[in-house]
Amino acid sequence: MRGRDLSRKISDSLYLPVALLAAMAMVIPVYILFKVSVSTPGEILTAHPSFLIRDFTLEHWVKVLKSGNLKAPFVKSFAVATLTTVAAVLIASPAAYVIARMPRKIKYPLVLSLFLTRMFPEVGIALPISVQFIKMNLIDTYLGLVLAHLILNLPFAAWILVGTFETIPKDLEEAAMVDGAGKVESLIKVIMPLALPGIAVAAIFVWLNSWNEFTYALYLTVSQRTLPLQTYYYVVRGGWFDAATYATILTIPVMVVTFFLQRYMKGGYLSGAVKG
Amino acid sequence: MTWLKKYRLEALLLAPLLLYILGFTVYPIFQTITMSFLDRFTGALTLANYREIIGKVEFKSALFNTVAFALLSLTLEMVTAIVIALILKRRFFGRGFLRAMLMVPMGVPTLVSGVAMTYIFSIHGYLNELLYRLNIIELPVDWASGGLRTLMMVSLADMWKVTPMVILILLAGLESIQDEVYEAASIDGATAWQTFRNITLPLLKPYITMAIILRAIDAFRVFELVLVLAGRATPVLSTFAYDEYNNYGNAYTSAAASTILLVIIMIFIYGYLKVGGSEEVSG
Repeated sequence: MRGRDLSRKISDSLYLPVALLAAMAMVIPVYILFKVSVSTPGEILTAHPSFLIRDFTLEHWVKVLKSGNLKAPFVKSFAVATLTTVAAVLIASPAAYVIARMPRKIKYPLVLSLFLTRMFPEVGIALPISVQFIKMNLIDTYLGLVLAHLILNLPFAAWILVGTFETIPKDLEEAAMVDGAGKVESLIKVIMPLALPGIAVAAIFVWLNSWNEFTYALYLTVSQRTLPLQTYYYVVRGGWFDAATYATILTIPVMVVTFFLQRYMKGGYLSGAVKG
Repeated sequence: MTWLKKYRLEALLLAPLLLYILGFTVYPIFQTITMSFLDRFTGALTLANYREIIGKVEFKSALFNTVAFALLSLTLEMVTAIVIALILKRRFFGRGFLRAMLMVPMGVPTLVSGVAMTYIFSIHGYLNELLYRLNIIELPVDWASGGLRTLMMVSLADMWKVTPMVILILLAGLESIQDEVYEAASIDGATAWQTFRNITLPLLKPYITMAIILRAIDAFRVFELVLVLAGRATPVLSTFAYDEYNNYGNAYTSAAASTILLVIIMIFIYGYLKVGGSEEVSG
């Protein structure tokens, strides 16, 4: 019986090649992006581009860094991401704490509806918001974009943080209250410090989500572009090398953080995550 | 009202989040749905916006592309993810390496993955060059020319970006299955296929459901990948809605397209949960 198990034979002999192929497939696009950003035009804009980097050049990087077009989008993306993170943490962590302490019967529908806000098409939310923001002069402003980025990041941060607060035993705050601390005091002095690592992870993910965000930025921007919009601008104009360089700059922080937060990249944990 | 008094602090802590979601998510969606039924000039109730977009060729193609893309990319991603998750469950030399490689696409913004894919799928791009060197094609293939070929291209791009996350979800599911079950199956002489079909797959079902719903929502809403890779040649509902508002200045038809997209997503989730059983969607 065992000897005739064809399916086992197939899986035993094929899993290594498939694994190797998959690993290669995951790296190659990133390699190509980087390669384009450091290749001479002659190597790329030809009918038969080369696979290896033949003439390494930093001309596109130098051009982008010297052009003066990088700083403004970089600053805007950085500032918006940071402000979004601060606001998201301030709003989502107290709420997540309350949700985590609720009885199951209320908690699960609430958490599920947080999750289901993802179901709404972004173009459907961005449309009335953009119409409204035009009237309120919020187009092209930091504030407008921060408000928009909170739309996707608040439910996401709350989703992660409910999980964090659930792991903190209720006894701790009860003990603090027996010792005479008020509800607020025990929350600030006992619970929040314990939740800090979880809050930090949520904050980093929120920061990345905002740093990458494209759709709302597209709807709410006329001239003050963010880094993703700047990248897209060069894609539309057909500026291959500029696009590759900007795209690489945009990717570096995301890649670094993803690498260091590997152990938090778990399926269940990220199931509330917006596309990275 | 004693309830409110007792839980005043809790209500105060919870309120900003709930109010924000109401004001900036639920209300805008409500506005979009309302707008889709209003006349652009008079503000009267009408179906004209729907009639207008349904009459457009681009809309028909966007509708078809959205559904086709979602089904195609979901199928590709789920099959690949199951295969790789099963491989990762084995103990072999290089397993840690493969797992680490999974992090690479997760560390690339969706927009950037689209940019990288343009270099691969352009006429004189790397895929054509590879196929040429392998003697599979002689003349370059225009992947962005529309139709099934372009859908395939966008699906592959999407697959590259999100399959790692699906793998991690399924891997969590595989790790939750106890070894004893497999030992029992092996004692009973089950083949690898039988074990997979009758043990792994049913026990993995809640995780598969979660992955499918998550992925389906994002696949139906696909936006920047299509914008970057396919441009206007192959619209989907999101890019069609964006075009109506941004390039034709009509917020009302854009709202109608968004509403249709929302309805499709809801029908899919409802239908899937109905057909696929009613397991809890667990985190």
